[in-house]
Amino acid sequence: MHHAYIDKFAYQDSAIHRLDSRVKFLVVLVFTAVVISLPRTSLSILVCYAIGPFAVLVWAGIPVRFAFKQILLVSPFVLVLALSCPLYDRTPVAVSFGPFLWRITTGWMRCFTILAKFVVTMLALIALVSTTRFNNLLAGLQRLGLPRLLIVQLGFLYRYIFVLIDRAHHIVRARAGRKLRNLGFKTELRTAASMLGSLFIRSIDTAEHISIAMQARGFDGSWRTLWALHTHQSDWLFVLGAACYISGLYIFIKPILQ
Amino acid sequence: MHMANELLSIPVATGTLAIAGASLGVICRKVRQVIAADKFALMGILGAFVFAAQMVNFQLPAMPGTSGHMVGAVLLAIILGPHLGAIVISSVVIVQCLIFQDGGLLALGCNIINIALVPSYLGYFLYRTVTNGGFSSLKAYIGAMLACVIAMEAGAILVAIEAAVSGVLVVPFSTFLITMVAIHFLVGFVEGLATVAVLAYLQQLRPDVVADSLPGTIRLSRRAVLVTLAVFAFVIGAGLSLLASDLPDGLEWSYAERPDQPDFQPVVSNPDARIAAVDDLQSKYSPLPDYSARSSKLGEVAEQQADVGAGWTSFAGVVGSVLTMALIWATACILRRRQPQ
Repeated sequence: MHHAYIDKFAYQDSAIHRLDSRVKFLVVLVFTAVVISLPRTSLSILVCYAIGPFAVLVWAGIPVRFAFKQILLVSPFVLVLALSCPLYDRTPVAVSFGPFLWRITTGWMRCFTILAKFVVTMLALIALVSTTRFNNLLAGLQRLGLPRLLIVQLGFLYRYIFVLIDRAHHIVRARAGRKLRNLGFKTELRTAASMLGSLFIRSIDTAEHISIAMQARGFDGSWRTLWALHTHQSDWLFVLGAACYISGLYIFIKPILQ
Repeated sequence: MHMANELLSIPVATGTLAIAGASLGVICRKVRQVIAADKFALMGILGAFVFAAQMVNFQLPAMPGTSGHMVGAVLLAIILGPHLGAIVISSVVIVQCLIFQDGGLLALGCNIINIALVPSYLGYFLYRTVTNGGFSSLKAYIGAMLACVIAMEAGAILVAIEAAVSGVLVVPFSTFLITMVAIHFLVGFVEGLATVAVLAYLQQLRPDVVADSLPGTIRLSRRAVLVTLAVFAFVIGAGLSLLASDLPDGLEWSYAERPDQPDFQPVVSNPDARIAAVDDLQSKYSPLPDYSARSSKLGEVAEQQADVGAGWTSFAGVVGSVLTMALIWATACILRRRQPQ
């Protein structure tokens, strides 16, 4: 099975996809840090900051609907915490927005700010991940100084996630075919434990076969790649544009909107 | 319980990133000395196993419609040892962040500490402490349960502390802590049961895999489960009721004056008249006057007197941004339509 069902867009081709992975990673990191450090009370500046990741997503040809679906999928924890803000912070505040004037509480303001920051930083992360192949990202991270052991570990992990998830699906389907009702907690737990145990044993056996095969081909624990990382002129242009965008909004637009 | 970027402040995020990065570097160096290259494939595949194990869910008792699944941090730590376990689970957390977008990029340090490092080392330590000396089925069972529950709770408490130190949440610290601890008690208990059951299964089928950590048979009996549930519930309930008592929070202690002890010196005091005014205002309007953080309220006073002019600039900002995005979208659509011709 081809394993690209979650990062399938990373295998497209566009100007953004061709950028160096280190450049993209660092820009997203700085962008996230700046967005997080924005004051808690201003919502409108966050909408300005959403332009950047949105433009990158559109430019790279990633469907925006996919990005939002992905955000919705990982939101429950943040959603619960954000929605608890209005319960505890009920200081009334008047908010004027253009021709409208609302009376709400600071708790709601804070809730919306947390959610908006969540959406903006997630858009940036999705823009990074769905325009960069994971192997290139790993090569870039290794160049940035991550321990080699961790890189090798991540490489193996990425390669086998989808193989083992497929296997787990087979096991779960087999259980569904035989178990037609709820069997009570003890039996359920015992069944699940045998499924997990057999999955574990199969994983260990697979690992043994793989490492024998890899050692036969000369694997000594270091990760070699065919491609070399180069920074082109376009990478520097991207960095320059991103730096202008992030710092420009921070220096010029933020004081106005406050 | 993956932390998100928004629940952290920059100092907390960078601090935890630095701690997580440094400890991962140390662990990697240590592991590199211990294991041979043929273990690399094993570690990677066990990381993938953690993902696949989440597909295997089972019905929870007393809560129809809900199902639990295993995380496996403590299981891996018990079988592989804490260093390998920590690296495997850390890599799982990194992949969850980078591919599945679960947990933010800046929160990665927090997540590695809460989910990978603390459970692996604490769980392994607890399991080893309990099973040390002569081996018995009951000891292994209690050790694994204790390791899972305590390791899970430690991670949950760290989440609450990190969020509180960042000062992003308005939920009172004790409420947040109690909610996290209560939820993760259930999660940890189910995790512990599953871990014991998987260990027992592995012991039957492949004793060589668990020979090092499980030198005898382990059995799961209904009575043992009920007894541990009762004991854990009692211990954690007692701990929580202590916390939830009317003792002031540690944070509050540090800057509040204490009427019961007149000679108590406030650690932080600010004689500024404006701050006193803010406190007054706040105690007037706040329905929960007991919970108050001075620093976070300062910025909101100005907003209460928000003049109508500020509304128009923010309106212009939002409308301008939305128009820009629409423009980008339309341009991309036109360009894409033109391309195939």
